[in-house]
Amino acid sequence: MTTVTHPPARATTTPTRRRARPRSGQGTYWLYLVPGAVLFIGVIVVPFFMNLYYSMTRWPGIGEPRWIGFDNYTRLFADDTFWLSFRNSVAMIVAMVVVPTLVGLLLAAVLFDYLGKRFDGRVASGLRATYYLPQILPVAVAGILWGWVLNPQTGALNVILRNLGLESWALNWLGDTGTALPTVMLVMIWVQVGYPVVIFMAALQRVDPELYEAAELDGAGWFRRFRAITLPQIKPETFVVTLTCTIAALKVFGPIYVLTKGGPENSTNVPSYFAYQNFFPKSQVGYGAAIAMVLTVIVIIVSIIFMRVQAASERKEGI
Amino acid sequence: MSTDLAVADRVGPARGGRTGGATAPHERLRRGPGRWLVLTAAVLLAVAMMVPFAIMLLNAFKSPTDYSTNGPLSLPTSLYTDGLVNFWNRVDYPGKLVNSIVISGSVAFLATVVSLLNAYALGIGRIKGRLWIVMLFLLANMLPQEALIYPLYYLAKQTGLYNTQLSVIIIFTVIQSAFGTYLLASVFSTFPPSVLEAAALDGASRWQVLWRVVFPISRPTLAVLVIFFFIWTWNEFFIPLVMLIDNATQTIPVAIASLQGDRLMDAPTINAGSLISLLPAVIFFLIFQRTLTRGITAGAVK
Amino acid sequence: MTRRRHGRLVAGLLVLPLALAACSGGTDDTDGGDEGTGGETAATEGGTLKLWHYESADGAMGIAWDEAIKVFEEETGATVEFERKAFEQIQQTAGMVLSSDEGPDIMEYNKGNATAGLLSSQGLLTDLTDVAEERGWTDMLPESIQTTARYENGVMGSGPWFGVPNYGEFVTVYYNKAMFEEYGVEVPTTLTEMEDVMDTFVAAGVVPLGMAGAEYPAGQLFYELALSKADRDFVSAYQTYTDDVDFQADPLKYGAETFDAWVKAGYVAQDSASIKAEDMGVAFINGTTPMIVSGSWWYGRFVSEITGFDWGIFNFPGNTLNAGSSGNIWVVPENSANKELAYEFIDITMRPEIQALLGNNGGLPLNADPADLTDPKSQELITAFNEVLDNDGLAFYPDWPVPGYYDVLVAAFQSLINQSKTPEEVLTEIGTAYDDGVANIG
Repeated sequence: MTTVTHPPARATTTPTRRRARPRSGQGTYWLYLVPGAVLFIGVIVVPFFMNLYYSMTRWPGIGEPRWIGFDNYTRLFADDTFWLSFRNSVAMIVAMVVVPTLVGLLLAAVLFDYLGKRFDGRVASGLRATYYLPQILPVAVAGILWGWVLNPQTGALNVILRNLGLESWALNWLGDTGTALPTVMLVMIWVQVGYPVVIFMAALQRVDPELYEAAELDGAGWFRRFRAITLPQIKPETFVVTLTCTIAALKVFGPIYVLTKGGPENSTNVPSYFAYQNFFPKSQVGYGAAIAMVLTVIVIIVSIIFMRVQAASERKEGI
Repeated sequence: MSTDLAVADRVGPARGGRTGGATAPHERLRRGPGRWLVLTAAVLLAVAMMVPFAIMLLNAFKSPTDYSTNGPLSLPTSLYTDGLVNFWNRVDYPGKLVNSIVISGSVAFLATVVSLLNAYALGIGRIKGRLWIVMLFLLANMLPQEALIYPLYYLAKQTGLYNTQLSVIIIFTVIQSAFGTYLLASVFSTFPPSVLEAAALDGASRWQVLWRVVFPISRPTLAVLVIFFFIWTWNEFFIPLVMLIDNATQTIPVAIASLQGDRLMDAPTINAGSLISLLPAVIFFLIFQRTLTRGITAGAVK
Repeated sequence: MTRRRHGRLVAGLLVLPLALAACSGGTDDTDGGDEGTGGETAATEGGTLKLWHYESADGAMGIAWDEAIKVFEEETGATVEFERKAFEQIQQTAGMVLSSDEGPDIMEYNKGNATAGLLSSQGLLTDLTDVAEERGWTDMLPESIQTTARYENGVMGSGPWFGVPNYGEFVTVYYNKAMFEEYGVEVPTTLTEMEDVMDTFVAAGVVPLGMAGAEYPAGQLFYELALSKADRDFVSAYQTYTDDVDFQADPLKYGAETFDAWVKAGYVAQDSASIKAEDMGVAFINGTTPMIVSGSWWYGRFVSEITGFDWGIFNFPGNTLNAGSSGNIWVVPENSANKELAYEFIDITMRPEIQALLGNNGGLPLNADPADLTDPKSQELITAFNEVLDNDGLAFYPDWPVPGYYDVLVAAFQSLINQSKTPEEVLTEIGTAYDDGVANIG
């Protein structure tokens, strides 16, 4: 391997080149999918169809499921709580996708491209590790800790605000229907932001440093280089982060469970928590399976749209 | 956030203006007050993000009476280490640690290998219908875990894998590699074909291209996968809770949950337990962070 | 060459699970019969009893049952293989565990229709009726306690025995004696007096009643208030569907309206909707809150953690009925390999000396000799509980009737605490969920 310092694909590849790629034995690439596919069928495909079957039964989780056809689905489509919970999914997408991706992009660029070059490399890695730490903390424990911070009577946040004389800012964070959702969103940003930072920093390492040096010699400022080089170069990772975070946001469960249990007054309920309530506390596994099924279909639709956009963007790049 | 941007923006053009090619660029970059402003902002953000961890630390060394009397936000009146000792003994921490490491380590390794193989076929091989195949794999990420749990329980019981760590390893290898396949396949689709062509001209087989060309170049991304898979699996709660019912096979998060009862919880012990449970994952991250950094320098040298 | 190596990797991945499946397949030969011992480890003379529970090691039950294990091992020569479980694990996976061969021989489990009831109706629990008769448990346990032991087609209250309770719990009022003295108020004996006491605190700027709107305390306070106007027939109708329940009439109407009035009067903090029970308890322990209406499960913790002041309990003023029931129950899975040993163990936990140990550590024994209960602080609790038992006063809990009702009640009383709904709206909300739930069961 001696030819690593190739300029990136975009600069050199032309359609002719692409066609010139050796095509013989294309079929053997399939072999590399076999281990993954076998495991996938056993762990995902079979359970998927089993869940589909459960969703058409009435079943408390043990004993024999009783076939009831589409009854669970007709009931679900009339269930307001389920559809209302999707409103909160939109908020979760903002808190888990939009904000962390933007902030993460910026932080990664600042750490890698700015601080990384002006200070010892350990400064950037140290900061990256710190931003990532919330991802390592088990969500159950994070829930307890945030409960202490946000407690309206004795919590750290309100105590500080009161000491600063900002009595009117000391809100009932998780207890008021108006503030609970924004507060949960803030916690989610805290949880989530380290993930894009780590991915984007790894992405930036793929980018050829010569590109930056050339741009810098051309007199391009930091922000222009960020827009002209960084953003296009790490596009694949950006798509991955956005899509996986969107999926995670649509099926978010743990943080809701530990912070608010969907409350107060259902103002932070999300589809996954609603499914959970039926799977376990209510022992209505059939109905829970139907909720999970509809949720999955929605996630699939969103993902397909997303990947189409990604594919189109790749084609436009001419790779 | 906006201050970072503003500062960076202000500093950027100023530097770009001076295109005296002769001065060593790194010497030049290390001067100027702007970098301190950016650093301060980045550090302040980091400190703000650490607040909950500070509270955890505060309560990990408090006696239960101290915690209940003075609340979770006071400084400990004395250094109390029984919480740690209790947690260590009560849940057999060393045993749980081994279980967690075995499971997370196996998943991190296996899922990365599976991701690499899948992505090689999809991203480099660009086999037909790859978009749909990636979509299909991603289904593992899309299904809510509650939907998987009853079928997986049933299948595990049928195959005799119920209550074995292997069941959890297989399940998470699949779930995590879905993400890895997607990320790597996306990254590989930007892979310079000329490199592959050069290797093919040298007479390298597919298998050799994978390990001698693709693997070294994608090392930073693979390191990210290993870290993520390890830590994600480390923190998984629900599937281990269902699949591993003996204390001898269980992982650390399940052990921590046993401190939280029906209506009462033991907050200081939970904090102490979380603290020592967090450490292995943090250490793992820090170790691998070094390989991440090494990845850059290696690339830069070549 | 490369192809072959590749092929071997694939084959390896495929074979691995199968090989392991084959290995473990050999050991699951137990058919759940009484004789079948699960294979390799059960070599000791008296056999092995696999026992699971989820009580904390230093709580009343944990201490008493540790002692019971010791006595059991001495007397039977059998070994107890004890594992402490996460509450959540048993709660969510008991059905799965007990349908497999990996389950315990005896375990602690939650009473109720959605838990023990469901498993009994699926044939996963052993019918203990004859054993209970034979060993005299039927005589040891008060009638209202036995409710949680018996399930008819999964519904609690009658039918065969599927579980054995050996301790009790109930909701009472904890108060800070030092604060009562400071503000010059006396222990109230009627609800009106209780309100007077709370007025005194409110006038002094102290929130008199601790509350935790995010968890069970709000629903329990509502239920206590409703019970002040209720009789046994109401409890039967509400809990076991013997009759229709009108949510827009007393006692439930009174409960919701009084709860609302208490919020308006400032007896309950208006910012308590997101507070968890743990924080409510801590606020009582550190002397911030003068009173909380909550369960006996706090008692042991208060005894060991309240150091700065004197405190006590009194039963909810004027009520003959109180929220409460037996504690969790012992169940013997149908697949248990050692049923006789399991019965023997339950029997030991019923012995007066074990029960006394439970009682002296802040638990509520059901079969203790009063002379053995020497700890004065524990006596106070046991006396209060016996008063309830003597009146046949255990009215169970408000979220029991329908599965998933807990979340409904939490959300409903959050809106009363936040004053975003009227009591009528709240009653309609919980009434609809109740009716739906009951229709689903019947």
